Amino acid sequence: MKTSHIPSIFAILISAAASSVHAAAGPTDQQIAAIVVTANQVDIDAGKLAESKAQSAEVKQFAKLMVTDHTAVNKSAGDLVHKLKVTPENNATSDSLKKGGDENMANIKKLQGGAFDRAYVDHEVAYHQAVIDALDKTLIPNAQNAELKALLVKVRPSFIAHLEHAQHLQSSMGQAQ
Amino acid sequence: MKSCLLASLIFAMLCGMVEAEAAIQTVAIEGMRYVPERLTVQSGDRIVWKNQDLVPHTVTHETFDSQQIAPEASWSMVFRKSGNYPYRCKLHPGMHGTLIVR
Ligand SMILES: [Cu+2]
Repeated sequence: MKTSHIPSIFAILISAAASSVHAAAGPTDQQIAAIVVTANQVDIDAGKLAESKAQSAEVKQFAKLMVTDHTAVNKSAGDLVHKLKVTPENNATSDSLKKGGDENMANIKKLQGGAFDRAYVDHEVAYHQAVIDALDKTLIPNAQNAELKALLVKVRPSFIAHLEHAQHLQSSMGQAQ
Repeated sequence: MKSCLLASLIFAMLCGMVEAEAAIQTVAIEGMRYVPERLTVQSGDRIVWKNQDLVPHTVTHETFDSQQIAPEASWSMVFRKSGNYPYRCKLHPGMHGTLIVR
């Protein structure tokens, strides 16, 4: 049984893919910077909530890790855009990431106990999958500045590790609704 | 004869000292992995773990723990006791490495 917030992730993906199809040259470095910062912030916010609200110790620990890792990534990204004097510019993809994050928060805030854990982890799986897809299909191919591109390449393995970690939690919760 | 023996004894000692001189060996932490994942060193060597990722990691074994190593930071320790030291990252469940001290 998929909850209503899952389709919003696909909307993000489609919009990320669409922006690279319709716009002649895909997102600019300024737009990529905004997408990266927003993607990390959305997961930090969800992680902070889950750190205190999750029922299972494993989910709490995962949430704490998301806060630690995405905060660290955003620090590096912030330092780099500052150094490169790239001003993040909001765009359709960063807006829908933000919207997807807000919808997820509204959804999981209503849930308690095991239902909260499941919804949070399900969303983490979908979110990390969507971000990895965006990195591969849109962000890395379109990044113009070499250092920005290198940062995106460098960040990818941590998103893969988070995805696998979330999938592991998901499967250990079993297949119950 | 006696002085010859003494000389060779001193020579052997010096050799031993040279051999025992600590080396510094580095393990990079990059792409959510320890590189190399398996490293063999000599007793007395100092091992440096250098975090080249964007996220913090740890180097954790039952007998030692680096605690969080920030991005671009390093942690090192001298290993004297021979043996196998399988270690892991406390933060990221998939990260494992092994240090072998001869
Ligand atoms: Cu780690």
